[in-house]
Amino acid sequence: MRSLETDVVVIGGGATGAGVLRDASMRGLRTILVERVDLGQGTTGRFHGLLHSGGRYVISDPHSATECAQETDLLSRIAADAVEMTGGLFVTTPHDDPEYADTFVAGCHATGVPVEEIPVAQALREEPRLNRGISRAFRVNDGSVDAWRLIWGNVRSAEAYGGRALTYHWVTRVLRDGDRVSGVVCHDGISGEDVRIEAGFVINATGAWAGQIATMAGCHGVEVVPGRGIMIAMNHRLVGQVINRCDPPGDGDILVPVRTVCVIGTTDTRADSPDDLAIPRDEVQQMLDAGEVLVPGFRQARAVHAWAGARPLVRDSRVSESDTRHMSRGMSIMDHRERDGVSGLLTIAGGKATTYRLMAKNIVDAMCAQMGVDRPCRTADEPLAGSESGVGIAITDRLRDREADRLDDQIICECELMSRTMLTSLLRDRPSVAFDDIRRQLRLGMGPCQGGFCAYRTAGIAHDGEHGDIARANGLMRMFLTNRWIGLHSILFGDQVRQAALDDWIARGTLDVEHLPEADALPSRPAEVEA
Amino acid sequence: MTDAVVIGAGIAGLTAALRLARGGATVTLVSGGLGGLQLSQGSIDILGYAPGLVGRPLDAIDDLAERSPAHPYARLGSGRVASSVGWLADSLPGVFTGDPTHNMLLPTAVGVARPTALAPPSLATGDLRDGASIAVVGLRVLKDFHPGLVASNISRVTLPDGGSVDATSAWIDMEARPGEADTSPLNVARAMDDDAFRRRFGDALARAAGDAGIIGVPAVLGIRQPGVWEALCHQVGRPVFEIPTPPPGVPGMRINTTLTDAVRAAGVRLIMGGRVVDHGGTSSRRGGGATDAAGRNRRFPARAFVLAPGGFESGALHVDSRWNVTERALGLPVSGPPADQPIVQEDYRGDHPLFLSGLAVDDSMRVVRPGTDDPVYDNVHAAGGVIAGAVRWTEKSGEGIAIASAVAAADAILKELS
Amino acid sequence: MTRADDVHDPPELMRDSLDHCVKCTICETQCPVAAVTPLFAGPKYVGPQAERYRTGDRSVDHTLDYCSSCGICTHVCPQGVKIAEINSQARAAMKKERGMPLRDRIISRPTLMGRISAPIYPIVNWTLGFRPARKMMQAVLGIHERAPMPVSAPRTLRRRLKKRGQSPPGSRGTVIYFHGCSAEYYEVENSLKVIDVLEHNGYRVLTPRQGCCGLPLQTNGLFDDSRRYVRRLVSQLQAPGPGIPIISSSTSCGLMLKREAHEILGVDDPSLADIGSRTYDVCEFLLDLHDRGELRTDFQPVPERVPYHPPCQLRGHGVGTPALELMRLIPGLEVEESGAVCCGVAGTYGLKKEKYDVAMAVGAPLFEKVRGMEPPVAVCDSEICRWQISTATEVPAVHPVALLHRAYGLS
Repeated sequence: MRSLETDVVVIGGGATGAGVLRDASMRGLRTILVERVDLGQGTTGRFHGLLHSGGRYVISDPHSATECAQETDLLSRIAADAVEMTGGLFVTTPHDDPEYADTFVAGCHATGVPVEEIPVAQALREEPRLNRGISRAFRVNDGSVDAWRLIWGNVRSAEAYGGRALTYHWVTRVLRDGDRVSGVVCHDGISGEDVRIEAGFVINATGAWAGQIATMAGCHGVEVVPGRGIMIAMNHRLVGQVINRCDPPGDGDILVPVRTVCVIGTTDTRADSPDDLAIPRDEVQQMLDAGEVLVPGFRQARAVHAWAGARPLVRDSRVSESDTRHMSRGMSIMDHRERDGVSGLLTIAGGKATTYRLMAKNIVDAMCAQMGVDRPCRTADEPLAGSESGVGIAITDRLRDREADRLDDQIICECELMSRTMLTSLLRDRPSVAFDDIRRQLRLGMGPCQGGFCAYRTAGIAHDGEHGDIARANGLMRMFLTNRWIGLHSILFGDQVRQAALDDWIARGTLDVEHLPEADALPSRPAEVEA
Repeated sequence: MTDAVVIGAGIAGLTAALRLARGGATVTLVSGGLGGLQLSQGSIDILGYAPGLVGRPLDAIDDLAERSPAHPYARLGSGRVASSVGWLADSLPGVFTGDPTHNMLLPTAVGVARPTALAPPSLATGDLRDGASIAVVGLRVLKDFHPGLVASNISRVTLPDGGSVDATSAWIDMEARPGEADTSPLNVARAMDDDAFRRRFGDALARAAGDAGIIGVPAVLGIRQPGVWEALCHQVGRPVFEIPTPPPGVPGMRINTTLTDAVRAAGVRLIMGGRVVDHGGTSSRRGGGATDAAGRNRRFPARAFVLAPGGFESGALHVDSRWNVTERALGLPVSGPPADQPIVQEDYRGDHPLFLSGLAVDDSMRVVRPGTDDPVYDNVHAAGGVIAGAVRWTEKSGEGIAIASAVAAADAILKELS
Repeated sequence: MTRADDVHDPPELMRDSLDHCVKCTICETQCPVAAVTPLFAGPKYVGPQAERYRTGDRSVDHTLDYCSSCGICTHVCPQGVKIAEINSQARAAMKKERGMPLRDRIISRPTLMGRISAPIYPIVNWTLGFRPARKMMQAVLGIHERAPMPVSAPRTLRRRLKKRGQSPPGSRGTVIYFHGCSAEYYEVENSLKVIDVLEHNGYRVLTPRQGCCGLPLQTNGLFDDSRRYVRRLVSQLQAPGPGIPIISSSTSCGLMLKREAHEILGVDDPSLADIGSRTYDVCEFLLDLHDRGELRTDFQPVPERVPYHPPCQLRGHGVGTPALELMRLIPGLEVEESGAVCCGVAGTYGLKKEKYDVAMAVGAPLFEKVRGMEPPVAVCDSEICRWQISTATEVPAVHPVALLHRAYGLS
């Protein structure tokens, strides 16, 4: 067993965990993040990508609305590399309560969420596919965020301050020294060895999995109910801005343009386990109907992928409803010293990606108070790694990049315009990545063909690299195709059926991947859960 | 009015048109675009897996027909498959080699020894049945062929008779077109048409291949010029064979050109670029097809129809957003997946009911109402991927079903016309 | 920008077809430009693939300017992706953003060029054939010094028609002849042959006053002007009365009326749809007559062996190769299909100095075929392709109707 020693261990590689890693590292604390699989493989990587203007919460949760408005404004500057400020519209469709619009505007004014009513004709000019029956339209400051870029930007920033992120490190034990949590033991899924990390403090930022970690630390009754929501990515941007229904929050009320696709979301159903999230056929139909309300003809458009995410909804049996210390609305911080008599451990859950930085600040503040460290949060003061220029994402970025290097480089994933150099640089930095990890960082296989043309190329290149062995290359390719299907089978209709059939003609017909020599066991890694 | 309208320009449509025209019928072939031949592996599969590896495809067809009465081969029978494939091969002299009674094992671009029945000689030279010592050589400008992947896997193959393959790999650094780091198999094939380029490639190939007995290269050995492969073999003094790439597949393109030329030479009127959108006729017979040509629909009256537009990959079989499966050209009833069940399984490797759906046919490939022998129309026949009952890419049965059903449909029509 | 109500947003119509793309590469393999130069990234790349990255107002991929608009990609796509149309729209957006070279403004207005040159045709023809003048045009206007340029006829079609007198009443009915602007100024003889052949088959031929269809403007990305041209033409062709078939001998201009004005320019106008639905390519029309047993086949032998090149724009009509079938009715005439994809010129593409070499490389297999046959004439439906073929091969090129004309004993 390897041993490490540090000030702080953060468990969970979502936006919150990465935010905590950066925040704590910037305050001079030696911090290590451990993630059981890849960064952003959980809830952060499975939402619709909305960077909230706050408009959605002005009535139901005004405090969150204000926080969202402030954080979105901040992130558009310090996390520019992960953010596209698309702008957003709240529109009153024929299915929405017309009374709500005035309430909505009043709520925006009350919460400091910038809003401006625009003529319907102008909204329709800006978004020609939008339902022509809308009666009112309001401009808000919505954006979209590439969750994986956001997480990696935080991690790279933290690394500059000495922080570290260990992926594929599954926490198997939380160490206790009497009443104090003293670290964790992880299983390194890549090397196969166990790693013992001694730490002065542990932050449990595992979201929907927080109850499991708390239990490992002997803190019982932390019940985090996974609220399952499904999302469907459409092949291209049917709208250029975020389109919200101007109605009280409901299912399928938002269409978010993010990177090359636009995402319709979402549903909300209690799930039994965050590791087993179904994409039921009736919910797919519900999303398509919802899409029709926003963009007539939606059902004829091409769906390329679907996924489900688990909202962490905290139900803490030991904390009374009135106990709101260290709790901000929408996010809950659990102090296990007060709650369970166990020091050195804080749990955070809830919240939303837009306010991840604020959540990280709050919990690191709480931790510093317990550690007796007086160092202020500085995460709002400097840009994330990669965002120094302050230039945000534009939909045209990769087309521009390939225009520049197309003749000198190869395009491996043609749908998402991922070049060979992008791939080989990543393989150099992270030799043990699975294809899904490449997907999260470089968008491999996220476009219309869903890996049909690029999985095989990537296997060839991975095998060619010095780290490639043939069993691994075969296994990774097969795993990627299998995992892509998880997000396809529930939305297999229309044009995507043609694609799936052609992909099968190539993979099974021409290449005959089904009859590759049986794969040797892959390095043990937790079953990939599809995002 | 023509005798027959064939809808679709893949191997099924072209074969049906050729058979009809050679049989004396006047034929118009309409297609929405270029057919799918160049997306294929460029050989004739009859039956490769059932589900175990098949060595003798015609024998396996008879077993399969007994086990799976809904399979197209159950209607066609091994005798018609053998004679149809033989007829097509004879109609295109020099294009195919092999024997429909035995499968060869040809390496794929991931290094699987893939069963297929007939193949162009440049592919068939890679037959692994007797074991081999192979050098697999790729071009760095070609991202769709990775010799290391092929060699590593092919070395691990256990051959049916227990033999094995000894394979090494190498790269050649040679631009197909100056200043282009990323090129297609077709562009390399175009470069190979040039003697000087082919000779430079041959020199590099001989060096890269070491002392291997036989050399595998991506399928890029010429596209318009005949004899590139032969010249290369002669130059390097050893057998060279081609391994098909994912699309664009040069072997499929060559076959498409040869077959389309034969169809044209047989007097078939070819109309490309119109989707079939309409038809007319009586309740028992179709009178005409129509395509959405520019400006207006263009009608094609005919005495009989062969519907050969492909399966789900071409959109000929369509699934709407509520998972209803339809046939799009003529709106024929589809033998589809059960309405109350998911059309595909959650596991990628599962058996997906969707891909078994399609049109039901009788012995003369006339489209019938699913579950019956009642023709939907007396003069509408189907051929190829639109016919229900087989997952062709898994079985490796695509061309066999297509050719045999096309010939069966054409013969039934010729019989009625006479 | 203000828009007429009957202009839908063209990107909406064509852009949605990108959803049908399964990346199969069929378009890439058939593109004649991508076959000869890596400067063009190919139809799949600049079409459905790049379109997912475009906003309509920011243009970052200038490789698409090498697309010649020949339309083969759309024609061969088995999935129905409007690849060429997507590219045309993206190129229009690019030109709007980056400005339009003076050259593109001039060559995209053939009526303007024709009107300027008609009264002084000998001087113009002399100038166009005169190398120093062409060098100056290349330097100033960017029109390649060896690019094919039309030769002005001594008299315009309109003046010749005036002299010829009205078409006599026909036994089979009346048709409108849409001759296109090249016919007015350059292809005068050919146009008269079309009229003769139609009259020979029992049709009264009306030739109403008509302007440019706007196609060159469209291929050069000047959509607003192009829409104005095509609307004016539609009303001119409607003038003689409803329901009369319109016969076109210009493959590309006919296609503009049938398809492109709607699909690329987004003109959503019932009168355009009406005109489009009764527009026929002349060979399509004659072959339909033949299929109905109504074509006169009193052909005299034409004992010659000629190459026939079906132009790219003909594919867009979706009618196959009617000229080939018609010519095969002529005794003694041996017609060989070129087997080539494109002659390279693709409208005005091959005239541009930076595209000239690409266009000549595209056309090389065709030129080789034509030269190799040493024929008296080469045959092609499209006038600009004919200019390209004869400039490149020094073999005169004629419209298929010219051979029918001869076989009928009319010339």
